[in-house]
Amino acid sequence: MNKINFKLDGIDVEASSDETILSVARRVGLYIPTMCYLKKTTPSASCRLCVVEVEGVDGMILSCQAKPTQDISVTTNSEALIKERTNIMKLYSVNHPLECGVCDKSGECDLQNKTAEFGIDQQSFSAKDQYREVKEWGLLGYNPSLCIMCEKCTHVCNEIIGDDAIEIEYGGYSSTITPKGSDTLDCTFCGECIAVCPVGALTSSDFHYRANSWELTKVPSTCPHCSAGCALEYEVKNSHGGEKIYRVVNDYEHTTLCGAGRFGFDYIADGSKDEMKLQSAVDAIKGAKAIRFSSQISNEEALMLQKIKEQQGLKLFNEDARVYSKFTTPFSSLATREDVKSSDAILILGSRISSDNPAIRYAITEASRHRGASVVNLHPIEDALMQNVITQFVKYEAGSEEGVMALLVQRLVCDVDDATKRYLDSLDDGYLSAESNFGEDELDEIAAMLSRKESRVIILGADLLSHPRAENIAVLASLLQRYAGFKVLVVASQINTVGVSLICDLDLDDKSIDGTVGYGMPAEFTISYDDSADLQVAPLSQQEGTVVTLDHQLLPLNVAVEFNGYVLNDIANILGIGKRDTVDFTSELPQSAGFKSTAFDLLENFYQHDGLDTRGYFIDQTESGANSTLEDIEDLAEFNGTVIYRCDEVLQFNALTAKCAALGADSALVGSAQFAVAARVSDGDLITITSAGTDRVREFKLDNTLKGTIALEPMVDREPLSLLGRYRYEKVTITKGSCDE
Amino acid sequence: MSRVYFSTWRSEQINNIGKSEDVWEESAYKLPQQYGEHGSAKAFIGWDGVALYDTDVDVVRLATEYAAQYQKYSEACGRCAPGRWGGRILYDLLDKIARGDGERDDITHLQDVSKNMQLTSKCEIGKTVPNPLLDLLEHFESDFLKCIDTKQPSKHYHQEIGYIAKITAPCMDACPAHVDIPAYIEGVRDLRFDDALIATRETMPLAHTCGRVCPHPCEDECRRVNLDEAVSIMALKRLGADYETDRGFSFFHPANPKEPNGKRVAIIGAGPAGLTTAYYLALEGVACDVYEELPVLGGEVAVGVPEYRMPIDKYNQDIDLVKDVGVNFITNTKVTADMMREIESEYDAVMVATGTRISKKVRCENERAEIEGYWSAIEMLDQINLYVKYGIGQDTDLSGKTVVCVGGGFTSMDVVRCAIRANASKVVMLYRRDEKTIIRNTTYEEYHEAVEEGVEFIFHSAVAKMEDEDNVLKSLLVDRFELVPDPDGGRAQLVKIEGDSFVLECDYLIPAVSQSADLDLLPEEWEIEMTSWATIKTNGKDYMTSRKGIFASGDCEYGPMTIVNAVGQAKRAASVMSRYVHTGEITLSDDEVMEDQLRRMRVYDKSEKISGYLPGMPRQSSEVLPTDIRKSNNQEVNFGLTQEQAISESERCMRCYYIAMVAS
Repeated sequence: MNKINFKLDGIDVEASSDETILSVARRVGLYIPTMCYLKKTTPSASCRLCVVEVEGVDGMILSCQAKPTQDISVTTNSEALIKERTNIMKLYSVNHPLECGVCDKSGECDLQNKTAEFGIDQQSFSAKDQYREVKEWGLLGYNPSLCIMCEKCTHVCNEIIGDDAIEIEYGGYSSTITPKGSDTLDCTFCGECIAVCPVGALTSSDFHYRANSWELTKVPSTCPHCSAGCALEYEVKNSHGGEKIYRVVNDYEHTTLCGAGRFGFDYIADGSKDEMKLQSAVDAIKGAKAIRFSSQISNEEALMLQKIKEQQGLKLFNEDARVYSKFTTPFSSLATREDVKSSDAILILGSRISSDNPAIRYAITEASRHRGASVVNLHPIEDALMQNVITQFVKYEAGSEEGVMALLVQRLVCDVDDATKRYLDSLDDGYLSAESNFGEDELDEIAAMLSRKESRVIILGADLLSHPRAENIAVLASLLQRYAGFKVLVVASQINTVGVSLICDLDLDDKSIDGTVGYGMPAEFTISYDDSADLQVAPLSQQEGTVVTLDHQLLPLNVAVEFNGYVLNDIANILGIGKRDTVDFTSELPQSAGFKSTAFDLLENFYQHDGLDTRGYFIDQTESGANSTLEDIEDLAEFNGTVIYRCDEVLQFNALTAKCAALGADSALVGSAQFAVAARVSDGDLITITSAGTDRVREFKLDNTLKGTIALEPMVDREPLSLLGRYRYEKVTITKGSCDE
Repeated sequence: MSRVYFSTWRSEQINNIGKSEDVWEESAYKLPQQYGEHGSAKAFIGWDGVALYDTDVDVVRLATEYAAQYQKYSEACGRCAPGRWGGRILYDLLDKIARGDGERDDITHLQDVSKNMQLTSKCEIGKTVPNPLLDLLEHFESDFLKCIDTKQPSKHYHQEIGYIAKITAPCMDACPAHVDIPAYIEGVRDLRFDDALIATRETMPLAHTCGRVCPHPCEDECRRVNLDEAVSIMALKRLGADYETDRGFSFFHPANPKEPNGKRVAIIGAGPAGLTTAYYLALEGVACDVYEELPVLGGEVAVGVPEYRMPIDKYNQDIDLVKDVGVNFITNTKVTADMMREIESEYDAVMVATGTRISKKVRCENERAEIEGYWSAIEMLDQINLYVKYGIGQDTDLSGKTVVCVGGGFTSMDVVRCAIRANASKVVMLYRRDEKTIIRNTTYEEYHEAVEEGVEFIFHSAVAKMEDEDNVLKSLLVDRFELVPDPDGGRAQLVKIEGDSFVLECDYLIPAVSQSADLDLLPEEWEIEMTSWATIKTNGKDYMTSRKGIFASGDCEYGPMTIVNAVGQAKRAASVMSRYVHTGEITLSDDEVMEDQLRRMRVYDKSEKISGYLPGMPRQSSEVLPTDIRKSNNQEVNFGLTQEQAISESERCMRCYYIAMVAS
């Protein structure tokens, strides 16, 4: 990369070829005011405050967009610049409603701050005011009178999230933000537009007029809903006798949050202490043969469970983490979301990524928008939500993932060792192609696309992890890593799937053992955050601790709101292996698995101004060294008849998100018109779905954006044990009406 | 030259105030002086000054209305703080003065806001709207002060005066199709590729095509040239089209097609002009039947432009766009004069868009079509393209052959580069003039790619004679020329160098000097007027021929020219026809009259000094397929800009929108 040398206010500075004058200035600590600049998107260049002067160049130069050229001399501040910036601020203030007293944004408003900064205390000219209707768009509200048309919201929606759900309706002085091509807002309700709004124009409907920013206390933490572990801040306030979370915000300059993180926080429990219950939990563990637990626990809790296992000689069951651990064994290292963002070719295999992991979807959107990445989605079900980033959709038959992976490997690897070559040569590609429906033309198209791509990532989803042939699929995928230049991202399912897989020595759960204690999972004696459990403990948002995300980053959790009940450490203490506080375990996490000995209190949890991520630390990925062998591919599974795909709605991940009022979980089975015809059901029908001996009654909803013959069934409301070890697609029978009738 | 009473246009300062009309100094510019189709304007006001043609113009009102037009038209913009609010405040302040409510402070505020807009607006529209207003405030200060001090409205404040305004830009003005270039570039810059494509399709349905093979006259009149290099305008057009195609979206139309209105139009020829006419008429609810002689759609872009420059699957996307609005195509149908008579009676209007499909001769001795090896460019390209793109006919193998092409334009480049791909052992291009001229006639890239692929160019040469044996071509006698400057300072003359002629052995001579139109389909008794180049004559504004209801556009009207020229003509013609089918009258809209007047004046000013932009940002160029790979096949040569290049290139665009306005 060529470096550009130039002068900023007399200081010699150096810029890389993609840096603008503004970004260099910010990097070296020089202040240039902006109202519309958002580092993570392309500049909207609307506020014009960032103008600078360049020696020998006529006029004022827009620093957010202009890249410096060699040897120029830039002045960021002068009387003339201050005058024009002040004039712009005067324009901004014209007819801006004087309702700071009640505005949600007051106290943290860019317009308020800049108006004060430039000393605009009177208005010497005016413009005719206009009536502007306030809009209600579900979880968000829009007040056009307060809007300054900075365009940050439309930019994040399009470039970072990918919904592209809002746009500018041009009209000069009456320009406004509007749902794209519609009167109502149809989006995934991430709320990122609210986050980036510099004024009070876009607001959270639930939060609207409920508190002023200065009354709220920020608790920086990590979102517990999915494996991405996005940074967030709970904003809490003491009211009516107790602390409450009022809203969740994020450091939008450097992070992005989905709607589950932003709006899904009302599952908070008060908790209570009943020593009898605590003792019965201890007794249950002492008498148990196994503890079955979920991955929605902290590393410290996982370590305690591991110690309990060692002390009590019982088994530890966590199929989610065990499967993840086995699946990831063949890979030398795993990619992160940053790798996805900076890639120019992405293959997605075995995931409905828009709902499985919105954070990865956002990374794909960024790669597509900013890097022009080609995105190939290989899946049995097309995803309309991703149409604006997917450049090739390959529809394969459910169950044939192993064949699809083998065909990809056969086509894309080069310079393989002799054994691998023999293996690949021996594949019956005609059979694999016919059974998977993954054709030569499609492979050609992928290969042609990749020929000019340098940063390749393949994203492997939950369909593969739950596949009966998961291990061989993983070994095959590792060949793409070794011989085709792919980085591999495995979509871990829950917030601490990775951490648990690193800490615990897990046993195969075949559900046959009696005498189990559940920790966040159903069992004979259940300990969980649910108030119906035999012993209720704190959910992650009410505990201190750490988790490891899919990016292999260890991140701290903080207590949003105090929990008055027990935590696992109380049980551990009775068993004689506890510590004073849960987080006293943090420094003892196994270094052999890549953890550091850093104490909890020394973990940072923020992004620096220059965007440097100081949160927690990255786990050293130790190469497993396991020598994986390729297995022959036998017959590919076939799925005929009525097939459903376990897939939650966007923003639904687990029982906690299902509880959140704002997220409005829907229990319907959703299918295409084609599915409805084949299954003989219609929109609104009450149906009974039967598979593997379990029945559930649901409403059927027709979704015209869906295609194909596979319907989507939510999993957040399904009995977790019934899903253990089961492939994500299921053959089912559907009967109309509920079985009780 | 324009007769003016007062003008500050560009840098001129003409002030005939108080002078008798016979000593009035004239403006050096071809200023717009028409008001609509039939009226004359009393004043013209625009980005670069103001011109008054009449002594009685109310300048305070004129200034107010210009600011009002900025308000009205700011839907084209409204995207920066100074423009959005500043423009509104300018108008409010001016109107306050004009209606007699102004105060002296308002003038100061006007000047402050104006300066802020000039210095900091996002696009030129915001930067330039204050220019003529400040001119008027300076030169007619007394008129403004009179309103303020007497608290009286300006002299014609309450009179009915018409104003016609138009948004333009130097590139839009230069583009024959007047594509809203800054808007589609903004779409790329904002990563809203659908918006970019819709902006293109407002006036240009062939986005894939003109994102690849347009000779981009817009880039010659790009204001960025005044600062460093032209923006790569053409290449940026492709982004929107590729976005739609690669992601499998259904077509983004600039508007939903109107309900069928019962009117029917026949279009003869499915090339760029025919497709464009059909598309815009269909959007207006007119039923279109397109008759095409060939078995395939697309005209010369399909059978003339080779696959490696214009992949047919991409062109088919443009054609499918036209099909998507319900246009009916009838292929394998060569329209005859008899059919034309019928068609005229059956349809409400007819568009003739048959192109120029007859290769002209090179005019040498013994130039006879029956000589084996004499092969017209059109026939050669038909044969190659029909096979390569559609599998029709036979493959062309020129192994071991020597091919000589006489030309110098795009068609001849296609001939020689196709000959290379057909494995000819030697390919020679003879051209009468020099390298510089061939680059000007085509593009720099086109010429250099041909050289890289192994085409031998012999400049300053022409075929004097074809030598045959039993009607089989054996060789050519080639004369050489030199440029002799005209001692009187005129254009240099090509003079043959005696004794420097040479013999060039070859198997094929392919004339690609120019093409002419086959217009046998026009019934003789219609007596349709022709130009001296044997093309159909129209007035170049409404594209109606001398026979009412029969229109002509594209190469058969203009002579062999560019795709974008055909599109521009056809778009205008479609607009005229959409009115004609209802009213039977030939009219131009006010906007179209302004468009023509502005083009006559020229929006681009090559001597203008640019301010507010940092010079020296390099123009991005697309990566191309390596020579050794591309010369043996028909893969698309040009990869197009990468996303990062495209974003970088789009940031070089200065959004040079302007408002022009005339007053009645």
